[in-house]
Amino acid sequence: MTAALALEGLTKSFGKTEIIRGVDLAIGKGERHAIIGPNGAGKSTLFNLITGRFSQTAGTIRLHGTDLAGKAPFQINRMGLSRSFQITNIFPKMTVFENVRCSLLWAMGYRYNFWSMVGRSRALTEGADAILEQINLTARRDLPAGVLSYAEQRALEIGITIAGGADVIMLDEPTAGMSHSETDYIVDLIRTVTVGKTLVMVEHDMGVVFGLADQISVLVYGEIIATGTTEAVRANPKVQEAYLGGVLEDH
Amino acid sequence: MSDQITSEPTKPAQRMRAGSMVLPLAPWLIAAVALVVLPFIFTNNSAITIMNQMAITIIFALAYNMLLGQGGMLSFGHAVYAGVGGFACMHIINAEDFFAGLPLPLLPIFGGLFGMGLATIVGSFSTRKAGTVFAMISLGVGELIAACSVIIVAFFGGEEGISGDRTYGLPFFGVEFLQQIEVYYLIAAWLMISAILMYLYSRTPMGRMANAVRDNPERAEFLGYSARWVRFYSFVASGFFAGIAGALFAINYEILTEENLNTTQSGIILLVTFLGGVGFFFGPILGAIVFTLVQTVLSLQTELWAFYLGIIFVATVMFFPGGLAGLLMMHVPAWRMGKIGHLAWPYLKTLGGGLIGSLGAAALIEMVFHLRHASIGDHEMTLFWTTFDSHTVLPWIIAGVTTLIGFGICRATAPALVEAWNEANAAPKVAP
Repeated sequence: MTAALALEGLTKSFGKTEIIRGVDLAIGKGERHAIIGPNGAGKSTLFNLITGRFSQTAGTIRLHGTDLAGKAPFQINRMGLSRSFQITNIFPKMTVFENVRCSLLWAMGYRYNFWSMVGRSRALTEGADAILEQINLTARRDLPAGVLSYAEQRALEIGITIAGGADVIMLDEPTAGMSHSETDYIVDLIRTVTVGKTLVMVEHDMGVVFGLADQISVLVYGEIIATGTTEAVRANPKVQEAYLGGVLEDH
Repeated sequence: MSDQITSEPTKPAQRMRAGSMVLPLAPWLIAAVALVVLPFIFTNNSAITIMNQMAITIIFALAYNMLLGQGGMLSFGHAVYAGVGGFACMHIINAEDFFAGLPLPLLPIFGGLFGMGLATIVGSFSTRKAGTVFAMISLGVGELIAACSVIIVAFFGGEEGISGDRTYGLPFFGVEFLQQIEVYYLIAAWLMISAILMYLYSRTPMGRMANAVRDNPERAEFLGYSARWVRFYSFVASGFFAGIAGALFAINYEILTEENLNTTQSGIILLVTFLGGVGFFFGPILGAIVFTLVQTVLSLQTELWAFYLGIIFVATVMFFPGGLAGLLMMHVPAWRMGKIGHLAWPYLKTLGGGLIGSLGAAALIEMVFHLRHASIGDHEMTLFWTTFDSHTVLPWIIAGVTTLIGFGICRATAPALVEAWNEANAAPKVAP
């Protein structure tokens, strides 16, 4: 079976600085994979490489077996990969409903359509409302997204990410900057909306990681030093060293 | 219909937003009736000329707002698409054999296609990036084509431009468009068609994604849409409607010159659109109406009309970035709560003071202008139906005092207005 996402010898340099130093990783279909690691390890860069925001210096990235080299973010998205951002990235001036509806358009086959009225499509409206129901923002439906609370905006961001029906969902620190109760809420939300999908996430909060992921990769200085189930990774001496010894003391 | 009701916001404030409504018929019907009736109210030729000019500007401003308001693209050279559409139509009018078989009302389609064709070529490279890059390319292309107008004489006619006679076209149900009023109805029909089409466009997936790309191009890319292609399609659509405006200009004036596509013209359409308000579909319509009135009516009264227009524009940018439309829509919440009446008296006091002050200031400006620029020995000037000697002190004192008192009232009553405003917009204190 081809992995949902496979990285081989992936490297990325900015000038002379090598941020990602040869990452090999295979994430199977339906797996819930967390990438953890200290600050500056290259987690977000790895995300940006996979989603086409940056182009890699060397190595390959395959989504369901297809090489993603040279593909733009919108092309990668059309192949069934969707992502959220560490810094909330929504359409602040549009209503919450419009935000979700826009994220349904391509998936529903509208493409660059300029002859049908979005307001007249029952499928679009119902689809968007169903997503709003899932992320519990129905009451906020007609407000501009920019006026929502932080946690609500994060929920909307996740809603936009999953709306298009992508089967590989990548979440970049979905609980960053949240209170405990908000974190619990978002974790539950992520669990329900990503059922049956491949989930790849970067996260700092170990509670979130252990609550959502079944596989963990540890990224330190641009290299993956361990991959495996949560127990295996926790027991790995290299991880213990990286987390308890060297790296943490640097900070 | 039921899905529309459930799918659309129920609040007028939001329904009126450019972004989120189905086609409510009432405003369109009112507009259509108004367009039919207006020539019966303003019957003289100069009024019809002004209305023609206004309608053409409305189409052009709406087309421009497809870029600026809907797509977030600031163009400094959009007059070239209207201009080239107009020049192309002028050549069609002059192509006697072809034009003899073409009814004049269909001519704007060709203008639109030429505008669209040019927009396709330019857009293919200018829409790659939004922001400064797009603005600079639009400025460069605008200057380039304006410069071409004196170089490529065959197409642009050099300094005297290209002129023709619209009446050589195939008669349209017996109408040969000899009279201004016939041209008026032709333009009015195209205004309705273009405005409805542009409005409907904003409701399509492309129109919605244009807003999305405007707000957050990167996010749009991660939703499967290429920001660049979305911008490109908006640009091409905008070029089409700009071309229609250019064609109507050609029909109305029967002459096109370099002035129709130079950067001054591009600047004016930006000003018109911004004055009206880019955030609402109807904003550019207001802007075009107000601008044309100021331009035509005020320019009959004073040589300094452009100066006043500049002040209005700067004041709009500084104090009402939402433009006239934004200013109007600010009052919707108070109106919905039935408290708009509370604002009437405070408004009257403050705006009345402001108006008196402005008239006083305008008088001072006119007097300075007269003092400096009137021919030597010409001491007599007429202002507000009063003739006086601009070299005596009394008029200056009167104007100065009026200005001070006017703005004084304005300033003294402003806090009361702010208070009334807050009061009118406060949520009702009734328990839910």
